[in-house]
Amino acid sequence: MAHGTTHEHDVIIIGGGGAGLRASIAIAEENPDFSVACVSKVYPMRSHTVTAEGGAAAKIKPNDSLEDHIYDTISGADWLADQDAVEYFVNEAPSEMIQLEHWGCPWSREPDGSVAVRPFGGMKIERTWFAADKTGFHMLHSLFQTTLKYGNIVRYDEHFATRLLIDGNGRCRGCAAIELRTGSVRAILGKAVIICTGGAGRVFPFTTNGSIKTGDGMAMAYRAGVALKDMEFIQYHPTGLPGTGILITEASRGEGGILVNKDGYRYLQDYELGEALDVSDPRHPQKRAMELGPRDRLSQCFIKEKWAGRTIETKDGHVVHLDLRHLGEAKIDKKIPFVRELSRNYAGIDPVYKPIPVRPVVHYVMGGIDVDSNSATSVPGLYAAGECACVSINGANRLGSNSLTELLVFGAQAGRHAARFAMDNPDYDVSELEAQAEDEGARIRRAWFDTSRRNGERIVTLRTELHDAMENGAGIYRNADSLQSACETVADLRARYRSVTLDDHTNSFNTELTAALELGSLIDVAEAMAHSAIERTESRGSHQRLDHTERNDDDFLAHSMAYHRPDGSPPRIEYKPVTITKWPPGARTYGAGSGLKGEDR
Amino acid sequence: MSGQFHRPHAWAWFLERPGYVRFMVRELTSFFVAGYLIVLLVTLGRLGGGEAAFAEWLSALSGPGWMLAHVVALIAAVWHSITWFAAVPQAMPVYLGEKKLPAPLAAVVMGYGPWLTVTAGIVWWVLR
Amino acid sequence: MSTELTMTLEVFRYHPETDHEPRFQAYEVPYDEDWVVLDALNWIKDHVDGSLTHRWSCRMGVCGSCGMMVNGDPKLTCAVFLKDYYPRPIKVEPLVNFPVERDLVVSLDGFMDKLEAVKPYIIRDDVNDTSGGEYLQSPAELAQYKQYSMCINCMLCYAACPVAGHEDEFLGPAALALGHRYNKDSRDQGQAERLDVMLVGEAIWGCTFVGECTVVCPKHVDPAGAIQQAKAVGAQEFFKRFVAPKGAGV
Repeated sequence: MAHGTTHEHDVIIIGGGGAGLRASIAIAEENPDFSVACVSKVYPMRSHTVTAEGGAAAKIKPNDSLEDHIYDTISGADWLADQDAVEYFVNEAPSEMIQLEHWGCPWSREPDGSVAVRPFGGMKIERTWFAADKTGFHMLHSLFQTTLKYGNIVRYDEHFATRLLIDGNGRCRGCAAIELRTGSVRAILGKAVIICTGGAGRVFPFTTNGSIKTGDGMAMAYRAGVALKDMEFIQYHPTGLPGTGILITEASRGEGGILVNKDGYRYLQDYELGEALDVSDPRHPQKRAMELGPRDRLSQCFIKEKWAGRTIETKDGHVVHLDLRHLGEAKIDKKIPFVRELSRNYAGIDPVYKPIPVRPVVHYVMGGIDVDSNSATSVPGLYAAGECACVSINGANRLGSNSLTELLVFGAQAGRHAARFAMDNPDYDVSELEAQAEDEGARIRRAWFDTSRRNGERIVTLRTELHDAMENGAGIYRNADSLQSACETVADLRARYRSVTLDDHTNSFNTELTAALELGSLIDVAEAMAHSAIERTESRGSHQRLDHTERNDDDFLAHSMAYHRPDGSPPRIEYKPVTITKWPPGARTYGAGSGLKGEDR
Repeated sequence: MSGQFHRPHAWAWFLERPGYVRFMVRELTSFFVAGYLIVLLVTLGRLGGGEAAFAEWLSALSGPGWMLAHVVALIAAVWHSITWFAAVPQAMPVYLGEKKLPAPLAAVVMGYGPWLTVTAGIVWWVLR
Repeated sequence: MSTELTMTLEVFRYHPETDHEPRFQAYEVPYDEDWVVLDALNWIKDHVDGSLTHRWSCRMGVCGSCGMMVNGDPKLTCAVFLKDYYPRPIKVEPLVNFPVERDLVVSLDGFMDKLEAVKPYIIRDDVNDTSGGEYLQSPAELAQYKQYSMCINCMLCYAACPVAGHEDEFLGPAALALGHRYNKDSRDQGQAERLDVMLVGEAIWGCTFVGECTVVCPKHVDPAGAIQQAKAVGAQEFFKRFVAPKGAGV
């Protein structure tokens, strides 16, 4: 890797998705004399925020309350969320969403011109703002287009960050990044850094996540000594298309869609999710019940139906049916047109006339880079926001439509705190950071461009083994044996990773090199997931242990903290207590009358 | 690095896609429309030049060459009009509340309808 | 692969460090009727030739990364199936009308500049303040611009537009449609500023309404329609400015 130039700014943001762009604007707007660098391995509008469909939650209507949104989020999280963070999130959500409306997001509207809201899983009331069923797409493009207004946001598009640069005082001061076009490694320096690199669904084979979601930021922070928190909590979305894993949004159920097994039976009623009201009943779809239960529960119900032999076998595995036919063509075309387009194109099914085959699919990582309620990590000057971070508002299970809002609330918050840190800590030594970046370039060259090394394994071989190990070992239901085997495979892959060889040893746009680096990130993240999961001997939210089936608040009302060991041995797992303010842990109930708080229940 | 590769432009770019060919045909029809306009202007000029000049011009126009030219110009003008009417719904969408008037209906309402009405009016005026 | 059926992909190859001219390389790929062209490219990269270079991410037609020429047509490769071509070979090339960086990767530099040029953001005179709640916008007002907000920046329209290929000053279908999207947004007051950009030289007037941008658009944005509407607004504005130059209170 040729050594590239050095670039200096005030704040460096790694990642150009929803959180990174929101952070960029927060800093650029409030600090006009600051220069903000937005470093992303893809052009911002390719970021995975673009695929989010259903909506973003925030209290806006008079019939809703902040209190209810908080309670829904905490109970949805199976009490593993930090309640101070949830309160901040819910309180800030409305103004952030209005801000995005002011920036041009084309929210769907009520006849009176106010924004429309729809029901979503695990939410007591309809509070999910939506732009038909391309909410993430519209949010991302609105944010990206708004960044173009600010001359002090400097984009480093198609720059692949590989290492955080930490100065002699232990403060994070930038990153080393490969400029894809030339292959040179640049030192991009600043007084503070925010990681907004998204999730890591690509650890698993069957995922809604795009190819770019390889946990690079999580891995970078992990290697720099920051803990990865609650990594055992991986969300399976209950309705993905078989084969491709393409997401069919929860909004399809929010609009009244139903899930049925091979007998046409609404099986969710057998799993303490409430009563199956007729689709013509005006109370359907009932909030916090049946098809609008939380994602972890619905995905678990699917597995139980499968074990009972009541799912439908196809060449792409077992499925159930998501039936939207009773909604009618007009409503489908108006509210969820993308669902129709995706089903027709990728499953050959028109949901107006036929039910859509669906199965659970890896969708979201609740865990992530450990940050405090100010989005700060344990490394001074290093912040994180969005899916890559774990504040935590999502705990053991995220509610649908909270994540898009999270990008805004915590993107903006991280931006403000990072800007403050930059103002308070302006001085650093350029040469020591440049030396680190140079060293990183040399390391990459040694590791991947050594032409004397031949006939090693291919990237795809290791990636496929990783996928199999994680799907079989750390899926919806886990036990000690399955997780042990996942841990062993990951350790084996970590050892073999060093001997992977590339076909391509050229500099310009070497996407085989970036795929190799991404594989390294996936292995790091998978290691944290598998080891955090094996240590948590209880069942909570999306982490379901067949050998420890109950929630255990005495021992595990705590965040797992996975610390990387540079020698390659398994991570150290520690625990940090959950912040409980006003909502003591209670039973997590869904169905009629659920969602009542504390003493009301 | 030898750098980016820039593809050369083909001289006959208009043959590369059927849509380009259709576009060229549409553009070419305007020559016939323009040509007919010149004929019309000359006709007006001859009318101003007195009855004899006009009669002479009319008799010249009734030759087979001119008849053919008129037929070609008519076809070109009709085709040009059709392409215009097809473009109307795109260039001037009509909204009824949230709904856009469907393209075929918009073409009729804003294109063919007025065209046929005006044509019928002229025919009536000439034949009355 | 359980199937023995295969088909051929002829792929455009160009490496900026070693090549002066592009070449085509043929790859045999397994034929799977569920595969899109992108799946075949990924299979080649994973299993046969790691140096093959292309962009992709969401593989569900919304991130806009994987636009390429497939048998001469600009397509999202995640949205065209092998079965639509089988058993004939498929020729895959980078989008035309863009400089090629490497293999199937084109440069977005010019495109990004054009997007930025149209000021694609809400411009208003008042102070940004969220305390008053959302700006009201009726469903009918939303419908005025919604279609033009659906662009995923995949750039297929630039590959289909002969003007974009020949005239650098032309802002092109996606950028102009985006400018028009904001002009039509009831919350925006920035039309005059945008027209300052759009009415210069060939920026918008370069469009001769070939209409192929709309034909190839995978998201039904209809940039051709947007441009003609913007031209009509622009023509009115042009004459207004001609009669009463800027600053004269038009």
